[in-house]
Amino acid sequence: MNPFGAALVVVALVAVATVLGLVYRSRQGLFRDVADTETTVLTPADVGSQVPFGPAATLVQFSTEFCSRCPGTHRLLSQIADGRPGVAHVDVDLTHRADLANRFGVLQTPTTLILDGAGRVHARVGGAPHRADVLRHLDHLAGPESANPLTASHLPGSPHAQ
Amino acid sequence: MPSDSSENRATTPSPAAPPRRAPVDPRGPRFSAAITAVLLLVVIFLSLTGASVAALVLLAAIAALFAWGAFAGVGRHPYGLLFKRFVRPRLAPPAELEDAAPPTFAQGVGLFVTVIGVVLGLFGLAPAVGIAAGFAFIAAFLNSVFDYCLGCQLYLLLVRARILGRSPAAA
Repeated sequence: MNPFGAALVVVALVAVATVLGLVYRSRQGLFRDVADTETTVLTPADVGSQVPFGPAATLVQFSTEFCSRCPGTHRLLSQIADGRPGVAHVDVDLTHRADLANRFGVLQTPTTLILDGAGRVHARVGGAPHRADVLRHLDHLAGPESANPLTASHLPGSPHAQ
Repeated sequence: MPSDSSENRATTPSPAAPPRRAPVDPRGPRFSAAITAVLLLVVIFLSLTGASVAALVLLAAIAALFAWGAFAGVGRHPYGLLFKRFVRPRLAPPAELEDAAPPTFAQGVGLFVTVIGVVLGLFGLAPAVGIAAGFAFIAAFLNSVFDYCLGCQLYLLLVRARILGRSPAAA
C-alpha cells in the first residue's frame, strides 16, 4: 500500500476508536429504570451480604478486585448512604461470586442496583454513577415529602467532585 | 465525610482490600497508554507500507515494554517513571490515587495481544503484525483518551467464565 493509503487507514482507525469511546462515555453512569412488573424482592442473602439492607433504600454495588472505578464509586455511594438515614450501601465483590455476576447479568464493573426499603430493584446503573443522579433517585424513592433540600444538605460536598 | 465505620462489606476481602502494590496516580497509566497508542499507529503504518521487518521489530519492542509493566508493575515501567519525573510535577495533585493492580493487569492484556502479533509475524504472517497492533491501539487509545479500562471488563468476563476468580466459599 502507498503511504497515502496507509495514512488514510490510520486516520480511519483513530476515527473508529473515537466513535467507540464516545459511545462508551455516553453510556457511563446511565440509569435504567427497572419496570415494576418485573421486580423481585431481594434479600441480603441474595447478594451474599451479611449486613442488613437499609429500611429506606439500599445501594448494591457490584465490584471486582481489578476495577479502576470501583474504589471511587465505593467512596461516593458510602458517602451518600452516610448522609441519608435509612440508606445502606453494600459492596459485593464478584471476584469470589461468579454465580452472582451471572445471576444479575453484570457485564461491567461497577454496576449498581438501587433497591427500595422492601428490597425491590428500582434502577440499575452501569459504570460509575453520578452523585446527582443517585440523590435524585433516592428522593424519588423516598416520595415527594422527603424530597426537600434539608436531606440533601446533610451531604458534604465531595472533595473529588468532577 | 465518609467514615469506614458505616461501610458495609458484603464479602471479604472487599475491593478496597490492601493493594499488593503502591497506589499510582491514575493519570500515569493513561499517559503511558497515549505513548503506546502512538507507537502502535506507527507499527500499523509501517505494516501497511510494506516495511514488515521494521513493523515487527517495533511491535516486539512494545510487547517487551508491556511485559515490563505486567511483571514489574506500572509504577516501575519506564513510561511511569517518565510521568513521575517530568509530567506529574506540572500537574495538580490527583483527586485520588488508584490501586496499581488494574493497570498492571491491563499491561498483561496488552502483552498477550502484541505477543500474538509478534509470533505470527515471526512465522511469516506479516499482516498479523498490523492487525494485532490495530486491536492493541484501540484498547490503548480508549484507555488514554476515554479512561476506559479494557482489562477491568475482561477480568469480569473471565470471572464469569470461571477462568479467573474463586468459587464462593463453601461455608
